[in-house]
Amino acid sequence: MGKTRRLVLDTLKPHEPSIIEMADQLSELYGIYAVNISIYEMDRKVENAKITIEGEDISYPIVLEIINEMGGAVHSIDEVVCGKQIIDDSATLQD
Amino acid sequence: MSPFRGMLQRIWEYDRLANISEIARRYFAMNAFDGVLTIIGVLMGNLTAGVDNPKIVLSTGLATSIAMGVSGLWGAYLTETAERKRDLVELSSQTLTDLNDTRIGRASRVAAVAVALIDGLSPFLAALIVLTPFFATGLFPTLTWVYYTSLGIALLILFALGLFLGHISRGNLIIYGVKTVVAGIVSIIISLLLGE
Repeated sequence: MGKTRRLVLDTLKPHEPSIIEMADQLSELYGIYAVNISIYEMDRKVENAKITIEGEDISYPIVLEIINEMGGAVHSIDEVVCGKQIIDDSATLQD
Repeated sequence: MSPFRGMLQRIWEYDRLANISEIARRYFAMNAFDGVLTIIGVLMGNLTAGVDNPKIVLSTGLATSIAMGVSGLWGAYLTETAERKRDLVELSSQTLTDLNDTRIGRASRVAAVAVALIDGLSPFLAALIVLTPFFATGLFPTLTWVYYTSLGIALLILFALGLFLGHISRGNLIIYGVKTVVAGIVSIIISLLLGE
């Protein structure tokens, strides 16, 4: 089975625990090199966060478990890269 | 990481998530104050009624302390649980997930228990400390001295509570201490006048 190298998730989470703690927890998982979390919308009680994870072998079920445990919910998987290396999406005439 | 350090980190995290320290401080000061003033009332009632048997004072005082403790513990647990459950349900409706098995859910439950314990123990222990001279009446020449010593301890505790509040609010400690002691003195004076 191919290894997941990059994941981009659209999530909704409460303000606490903060994105610092979430990034810290995710980055400590086996197979993950780095985590980037950015907030693109904020509400009174919740915030929308884009989580970008890169590594050599990302386990999505474990990532999901941690996000859920911290009160977050994954709304969508916006990008995934699997294989031996990371590649970006290719430009087409339709773009 | 050692299990003890892990536990401390978890408690610190729950404190941050559920604001336990702030609520606990408030309940501690408020309920210890209530406890001391209630016991002042019990002591003054016994003093003005001429009760000269320390066992009567102790039994009424202890019964009152226990009632305050149970009331605080029970009431606070039910109230905090209800409030926090409501907050959790509201947050769950916004995140569209069940937050009961998350850190936030666990922090809420721990907070309710912690606050209930403080709400129950603070008036009970404060009242118990005020009653300590009655456990050692043999050390005093007369029972009147025991009454006065207990009342003195009560006023000291009130002053200490005032200092605590002054420290929290970063205000003048002495002024806060005097404010809380005045409440005790007013209670004593009114009880004396009623007794007359």
